[in-house]
Amino acid sequence: MNVIRRLLEQNQALSGWRINETIRSSYELFFVHRKLETVRATDTVSTNVTVYVDHDGKKGDSSFDVSAAMTEADMRQKIETAVRRAKLVFNEPYELPEGGAETSELPSNMKDRDPKELGRQIADAVFAADTVPGGSINACEIFLYRDTVRVNNSRGINKTQQKHWVMIEAIPTFTEKAESVELYEDHRFTDFDPAKVTAEIARRMAEARDRFTAKKPAVPMEISVLLRPQEIRELLELLSDDLNYGTVYAHANLHKIGDDLQENGDGDKLTVTMKAQVPGSEASAFFDADGAAFTDTCVIRDGVAAANYGSSRFGQYLGVEKPTGDLPCIRAEAGTLTDADMKKAPYMDCASMSGLQLDLYNDYIGGEIRLAYYFDGEKTVPVTGVSMSGKLSAVLASLRLSQGVVTEGAYEGPRHLMLKGMTVL
Amino acid sequence: MPFSAYLDGKRAECRALVAALGKRFPYVSVLGTDVRATAIRADKKSSMVQDGRGECGFVLKMHDGRSFFEYSLDDLSGDMNALAEKIETAVEIDPSLCARMIEAPLPQDEPLKQDFLRETDFADFDEETMLTTCKALSQELLEKDERVLNAFAVIQPFTVSKLFITRNRELSQHYGWANGVLMVVYGGEKMAQARHVEGSDKLKEIIEGMKAHTDGVIQLAEHLTHAEAIEPGVYDVITDSSITGLIAHEAFGHGVEMDQFVKDRAMAKHCMGQYVASPITNMHDGAAAAHSVASYFFDDDGVLAHDTQIIKDGILVAGLSDLASASQLSTEPTGNGRRDSYKRKAYSRMTNTFFEPGKDKLEDMIASVQHGYMLFETNNGMEDPKNWQIQCTAEYGIEIVDGKLTDNYVSPVVMSGSVPELLKSISMISDQFKVIGAGMCGKGYKEWVRVSDGGPNLKARVKLG
Repeated sequence: MNVIRRLLEQNQALSGWRINETIRSSYELFFVHRKLETVRATDTVSTNVTVYVDHDGKKGDSSFDVSAAMTEADMRQKIETAVRRAKLVFNEPYELPEGGAETSELPSNMKDRDPKELGRQIADAVFAADTVPGGSINACEIFLYRDTVRVNNSRGINKTQQKHWVMIEAIPTFTEKAESVELYEDHRFTDFDPAKVTAEIARRMAEARDRFTAKKPAVPMEISVLLRPQEIRELLELLSDDLNYGTVYAHANLHKIGDDLQENGDGDKLTVTMKAQVPGSEASAFFDADGAAFTDTCVIRDGVAAANYGSSRFGQYLGVEKPTGDLPCIRAEAGTLTDADMKKAPYMDCASMSGLQLDLYNDYIGGEIRLAYYFDGEKTVPVTGVSMSGKLSAVLASLRLSQGVVTEGAYEGPRHLMLKGMTVL
Repeated sequence: MPFSAYLDGKRAECRALVAALGKRFPYVSVLGTDVRATAIRADKKSSMVQDGRGECGFVLKMHDGRSFFEYSLDDLSGDMNALAEKIETAVEIDPSLCARMIEAPLPQDEPLKQDFLRETDFADFDEETMLTTCKALSQELLEKDERVLNAFAVIQPFTVSKLFITRNRELSQHYGWANGVLMVVYGGEKMAQARHVEGSDKLKEIIEGMKAHTDGVIQLAEHLTHAEAIEPGVYDVITDSSITGLIAHEAFGHGVEMDQFVKDRAMAKHCMGQYVASPITNMHDGAAAAHSVASYFFDDDGVLAHDTQIIKDGILVAGLSDLASASQLSTEPTGNGRRDSYKRKAYSRMTNTFFEPGKDKLEDMIASVQHGYMLFETNNGMEDPKNWQIQCTAEYGIEIVDGKLTDNYVSPVVMSGSVPELLKSISMISDQFKVIGAGMCGKGYKEWVRVSDGGPNLKARVKLG
């Protein structure tokens, strides 16, 4: 970074610059069934430079990658090319964030651990869950990452954040005679707790067994559908993305501040906060790609669009005095739905979906359900082979949020979100 | 358009590192990549000219006579013997895992030395010209209709240089591809977005295609402001080439990636030689099967490009493999070993995936539908190769009533259900054919590679919701 920084500082044509660098070392284990197929390690640096040129009352910018292959002359040439490109760009003026030096580190109990030993321990924790008769983990990939993320800019920002985190991709499978089904598990954490890993994989193993016995229910039916944290997060991200400064600036937003997203609703009111950090999430950060500090921001309060959020540039375009930074995590407040409330009427609790399909413009929510637990008013049975769909604005108005909360990935909030009146086919 | 001078200058280091690592590993390959991409974009208020999604670095693949090891790094320099020692240390494992390593045969290392090159016209278009074109297209779209709230025009060319070296093989390739996108945000009865995508290795064709579709993209956006939700149900559908490709890709392509066979993650493993689709159905995949975004000359394992017929007259006849899965299955690799970048592992991946054209006329296919929908433009899809379920989302559909397309648009349209039921329901296949090279494909939720898919129009019966 020192060479490119010096060259940027020497270039008189620039009105500003930014360097983003991610140094990553990884140790990776790829299992086929219980056998280790491939061992990988990586040692890489990704460097991206953005130059800014003020010209003709406007601001131009252009970004380029710096690779290890580049000589000083190559870098000088890349800067000149970027300056030329930036002069072709006539964007509205904005200021780069300013600030000082900062070095931060996400808390992690994996910081000083030997990756080889840690990798083996994580593998042991995963395969400790492989105790369901008829069950197996047909594939498992374990990625141990050490990331050092740096942002430097021409206005004095010199920030570094370190993250030690793990991603596990596991495929719990259940087989009986010639029939077999599987589910997908993506588990990420910054603190290694073997018991928690085993419990998470074991839960998915049990669900794989349930998928095996699951039947297609009598359809069509109109029923309340329960979403779990992954899908709740996707739904809330759709609503919050609509309030991002960049979306508003591009005229692509459907809602504006003050709009009631749950108009005439009788359900729990949504209160959603974009946050810098959620405990245990690798998405947590101390600053964004501009090096800007974060301000946690409640974007939806009691169902009403309350604030915009996003990056410094687009915040300035909207006249925001203190942009929030591009906040990476999301929190929703708990609701009033208890387990006893849930049992008052039939519902379908979606444990695994092919992917929640959301379309704000077309007012749509739906998707294929790989495994759900169907409560018919008396008993609960696993079901599969169905899809759901509904009108997004209608289900937002009447949604219910559980009292119980969880922290999962970059989301913290209700364990369940109930969508009333969904069509299941 | 020359092959990467940087990679060309690293041939000696590659050979030296292969030799140094070869003292411990009977099989060693090194893949060097130098991918250069540019992104040019203009909309109502802003514009951009910058580097796109490129990469430059190396990845080593080793086999110790039993299992596989890989190491990714940014550059090869200094003492290759010292680097080899560093790599050996980095891929060591905890001793308790040694007994759990797989036993896979050594990959073949057939001698071959060849350099491949496919020309583009990228040098004929400078960045200023492309940005001016994007700005003009954005402005034209904004001026055509006051209900256009914003209009985006994007051109994204990229060139690929790759160098592959083993003890017996030395291959290089250089080629390019470009995509162009028009997109409008439209405010009418409700807000809508519509887009048009072009793909070619000729920027001249991309720009001409974008210019020719400005009216079409606005008309589509206007229609989509009236689009309604579809009544969930099972319908006869006619697919456009994009949705045909999405079905080929999600319904069957992922299911025949043979690294999934090794993991017992694909039902297709047990269906070789069986009818899995209507007898009029033929499906292919391969970098050499079509000229599109994934038309490389050799894959990231150094295996030459193939044209693999996956389904022949409705019968499943072949799958797609990378080097590691072919080794474990004792089959010939099919040239489908691909990486997200040099930083990531190679997996069995699709390339250009499509159904063969048939003999039916599209107008006859539409005329044969009493009530159903014609489906257009891929939004997204998700595979489930073990359980053969699919979810494919089309941007929009047009209702067909009594054999005629109506003005009734529905959006979005989510197609789901059982793969064999869908493929066996294919009753007509048009004589038209188009492969669309603008897609990105993930494996699960990661490992993104550029792919194309497509084919003719299909008539099938599916669940829409």
